[in-house]
Amino acid sequence: MRQAHFVARHEREWEAFAQWLDARGDSPRGARASRGWQGLRDEDMPARYRRLCQQLALARRRGYSPEVTARLQALMQRGHNALYRPAPPRWRRALEFLLADFPRLVRAQRGCLWASAALFALSMLGMYLAVRWRPELVHSLFDPRQLAQFESMYDPAAPEAKLGRDSGSDLAMFGYYIANNIGIGFRTFASGLLAGVGSLAALAFNGVVFGAVAAHLQGIGHGGPFWRFVVGHSAPELSAIVVAGAAGLRLGLDLVAPGRRSRLDALVEGGKAGGKLCIGVFAMLLFAAFVEAFWSSIGWMPAPVKFAVGAALWALVLGWLCLAGRIRDVPAGPAA
Amino acid sequence: MLDTFREVHTPEGVALHLPAAGPVPRALAWLIDLAIRIGVIGALGAMLGLLGRAGIGVYLVCSFLMLWGYPVVCEAMFDGQTPGKRALELRVVSADGAPVGWLAAFVRNLLRTVDMLPVGYGFGLVASLCDPYGRRIGDMVAGTLVVHAPRERPRRHAPVEGVHAPLRPLLPAEQMAVIAFAERAAALTPERQEELADIAEPATGARGAAGVARLFGIANWLLGRR
Repeated sequence: MRQAHFVARHEREWEAFAQWLDARGDSPRGARASRGWQGLRDEDMPARYRRLCQQLALARRRGYSPEVTARLQALMQRGHNALYRPAPPRWRRALEFLLADFPRLVRAQRGCLWASAALFALSMLGMYLAVRWRPELVHSLFDPRQLAQFESMYDPAAPEAKLGRDSGSDLAMFGYYIANNIGIGFRTFASGLLAGVGSLAALAFNGVVFGAVAAHLQGIGHGGPFWRFVVGHSAPELSAIVVAGAAGLRLGLDLVAPGRRSRLDALVEGGKAGGKLCIGVFAMLLFAAFVEAFWSSIGWMPAPVKFAVGAALWALVLGWLCLAGRIRDVPAGPAA
Repeated sequence: MLDTFREVHTPEGVALHLPAAGPVPRALAWLIDLAIRIGVIGALGAMLGLLGRAGIGVYLVCSFLMLWGYPVVCEAMFDGQTPGKRALELRVVSADGAPVGWLAAFVRNLLRTVDMLPVGYGFGLVASLCDPYGRRIGDMVAGTLVVHAPRERPRRHAPVEGVHAPLRPLLPAEQMAVIAFAERAAALTPERQEELADIAEPATGARGAAGVARLFGIANWLLGRR
């Protein structure tokens, strides 16, 4: 068949397909906006798409000019996009993710999680004990100006001052904690791609800094306000850093030891899991920033209340990570 | 092959052509995005500065969103195109040619951190020069690809005037060349048209302007216009 005949025979079909794509196919928003659509029906689209693919193959085989093949190729590509587009995210799904899928995913990384937690806790504890034993060690980490800043933030001699900050309102600090802490969480994950070294370094570094500051403030007698400040948000923040480190270690392991998969396949799988874990880390750090900005800084709150709330949050976070999503929905069917 | 096309065979048995984009247009697109981001953050900073203390918090949240959220949201919501990529006619698609999803967009932009190491996208540049499809490390892990996505140009038709049979039979490749000539002729100067049509003298039997008209006629004959 000559090209002009071929075009004349199928032109109307292609036009209808293109109109459907313009009105409904290219975006879900368009589909919602065009309810009274009169052209090609949605349920006929896959069959039309397969016809179009066949026509494209014919046109290529017969050596028709680019005018036809390029046009069909473009239509086919748009049809392919409409058919194979990932489903848009839904709010219900987000809730399911936070309440069930995320804790399951965290528990699935058990080995990396323990390694990450152990490294973080040991570097924190080690540095704490080291600075308590040799207080001058803290000067190898911080310069005197930084130390003076820490000391003024948790000064027990100024009881009505806000805890844990030298200046800034609650809202300003909320913004600061979001920008700073969530960035740290994301980088802790991403740097794991360097064979896990980046995540290990980030975990160790954060542990060392935290341990050193805690030991120094405890040593000079500012421990009370310091612990009252950190106990509230420590649960979501520290566990989020550990989870981000575990996701990074997983990614590093996928690079170093992909097992029976190809390295690239292993990385793609690790990346998917890591991305999901980072969404959860984001939620945890957002919560932590909220607590840190609006609750932890309240200076007049008596210590027992602060510690009780801190303990409750630890129980909540650990319970959520260990227990949530264990009861699966049993699909309806004949009883086993 | 020197082409950087990635061919993906769809379940329907036809090949998708994904023309992979190299580091240079991508770097330019990134620079445009960077300028937009700096502009937005600067404008916000000037406005929120008037609000004082509370403004700082909002400003920090906005700058966080601009740093981490901007590329993810743009790529996931606007068909794989940030404004910079749109300007350079680039698009992020997943490795099988389907539109990129939220998770893949998130992962590829998280791993930008690694591509940026040790300085100025060093790892990303090396990776995209080594990879046959110019992917940076984040693209490989997220299973995505940046492709050229030129906007649709108006279709060119071969001029319809007169039909001629060629003086001697033409091979398939020659037929395609003649049709391609007729469709592209509008973009060529008359002199260049004549120059090209003269090559086909054995088939047209004429030179100069007459040869061009004959060649259009042969193209029409080949296309089946009678």
